[in-house]
Amino acid sequence: MRVGVFKFSSCDGCQLAFFELEEEFLKLSEIVSIEYFLEAQSANRWDFFDLAFVEGSVSTPEEEERIRKIRESSRFLIAIGACAVSGGIQSARNFEDFLSLYSSVYSQKYDVNPQSRPLSDFVKVDLEIRGCPINKEHLREVLMAFLENRSANLPSYPLCLECKRKGNPCVMVAYQRPCLGPITMAGCGALCPSFRRGCYGCYGPIENPNLLALKEAYERLGVGEEDLRELLRLSFNGFNKNIRSWL
Amino acid sequence: MRLRLSALTRVEGEGALEVYLEDGKPKALRLSIHEPPRFIEGILKGKPYHLIPDITARICGICPVAYQISGVQAIEDAFGVEVPEEIEKIRRLMYFGEWIQSHALHVFFLHLPDFYGVPSLVEMSKVDKEIVMAGMEIKRAGSLIIQSLGGRTSHPVSVVAGGFSHLPEDLSHLIEPIGLALEKSLWVMERLKGLKFPDFELKDIVFVSLWEEEYPILKGDIYLEGQRIRPSSFKEIFEEFEVPYSTAKHAKLRDGRVYLVGPLARFNNAFEKLSSLAKEMALKLGLIPPLKNPYKSLLVRMLEIIHSLERSLDIVKGYKRPEKSLVEFRPKRSEGFGVSEAPRGVLWHSYAFDEEGRILKADIVPPTAQNLPAMELSLWEHIKGLESMREEDLQDIAEPMIRNFDPCISCATHFLRVRVVNR
Repeated sequence: MRVGVFKFSSCDGCQLAFFELEEEFLKLSEIVSIEYFLEAQSANRWDFFDLAFVEGSVSTPEEEERIRKIRESSRFLIAIGACAVSGGIQSARNFEDFLSLYSSVYSQKYDVNPQSRPLSDFVKVDLEIRGCPINKEHLREVLMAFLENRSANLPSYPLCLECKRKGNPCVMVAYQRPCLGPITMAGCGALCPSFRRGCYGCYGPIENPNLLALKEAYERLGVGEEDLRELLRLSFNGFNKNIRSWL
Repeated sequence: MRLRLSALTRVEGEGALEVYLEDGKPKALRLSIHEPPRFIEGILKGKPYHLIPDITARICGICPVAYQISGVQAIEDAFGVEVPEEIEKIRRLMYFGEWIQSHALHVFFLHLPDFYGVPSLVEMSKVDKEIVMAGMEIKRAGSLIIQSLGGRTSHPVSVVAGGFSHLPEDLSHLIEPIGLALEKSLWVMERLKGLKFPDFELKDIVFVSLWEEEYPILKGDIYLEGQRIRPSSFKEIFEEFEVPYSTAKHAKLRDGRVYLVGPLARFNNAFEKLSSLAKEMALKLGLIPPLKNPYKSLLVRMLEIIHSLERSLDIVKGYKRPEKSLVEFRPKRSEGFGVSEAPRGVLWHSYAFDEEGRILKADIVPPTAQNLPAMELSLWEHIKGLESMREEDLQDIAEPMIRNFDPCISCATHFLRVRVVNR
């Protein structure tokens, strides 16, 4: 099996999950051929990939071209992390006037798109690993699934379920803090509520999130609709297809 | 004629190296950075102050704690928040965790393969599995520290202005892995004694670090040739400027001199403050300041790992959860500065806020942007005398020199001015 790991506009944090696999990463490299992974090796080859893992969003004309080239060279394309899945924190600019944002900070011209967008806006994505960053357990599960020729078992339910299982008190009820848990995909282990703060959305929105119910719950906490929208726009996943039209 | 290495490997982020030849000899070079800017400073504008640690962490997946700590210290500076020492001590512990895991990542995964003449850690493990496994053990100890205090290694969730959103009851489970990592680090150092380091010295480069009572990491003034400069005066001394071939800005001293931040600078400015085991090991290996061979930064990173592990062990052993993890405060119209020693060197944040604490202005200078001129200068010194140069020399001679500086290109780019390069 030939594997490639690629980076687009991002912080580099999701690729690190491969390194966090530690000894399993060494074992993996015995079973599969890691052909392309710039951060990990100085000998790289771009031919054909059975599995292409892509970190980062598409935010420049060069990246638009490159993601299409990767799609053409790959059997399965897997988006890893909030940037690749939803556009990342840099997609917060998609909701602002790019020219004024740009001219408020910079003086010169850029070779950069006004919007930062998820991979799926440009090519077919076969599988998503959620998170900002992804966690190594999900990465391991996906690798095992492909090696065993089965489908990957990743969470598809909201964070609240995970949070309850962990026995956390609900931060919205106990501390009156806004929390994106009800509409956010589980997978992180309900980290923020475990640290007594509201979820801020790293794993992105679930399918068909009930935004109206969330809005009502926030109103009861005295948080208005515009503040909720701002939270979602800055959730690293604001440009996710499941919520972008609402924002 | 132009030689081009289109993608630097085993570094963090995307860059390329171009060398221009005349009659086959190197004439000029460019370290061109084409990592796309992410406009983080622009996105922060108008947003509430409390988002700073979560958003700026995303500038770098390898050193998010550095961004969070410089960021919250800038907020605290602005709003006049005094963080008690017991909380600062825990911040130090978390920061040591980041030094350990980031340095171990660089030393073992990215840098050491050059000294073994192999393309990757995976290949290195086939020749010397023991050292690779030791490296992983060391890195894991750093990750565990951050996870215990912040939930996860990359982009932890507990760092907030005023302290921590929540702190664990107990940290005693860390004693064993830290102790083991310390043992392994000392063993690795003994092994590295035998490494051959190319003869090369940095010339005309000023070493800049922070000044603290301890070996600098958390905060302090900026230390420059015996002078102490307040973080608020950073821009009076250092100047950032644009270069046409890079999406990252460069920085120099206002008098035009090139400077270096990071492990070598800290070692040269604060050697005496290293932990006892780290200092002992330095002397054993004949490492004393001024140390100017960038290849030996590998050893200095290992020394800083030993220092961090030793200090972490002390903090963990004496850990008692503070009664309050957080100091309360109110935002006000103000300006604030925050500075700390990221694994790669001085990381400076500055913000202006309105009455409600919304961000009016954000300005961040990461270490790698400051180190780019030193990196280019060293590369040039390294290759300028060559009679000829081939494409493969870029990978064999030039790229290892770049890795000495542990550049984080993702960091260097995300807020800086860029110019269109016609391709």
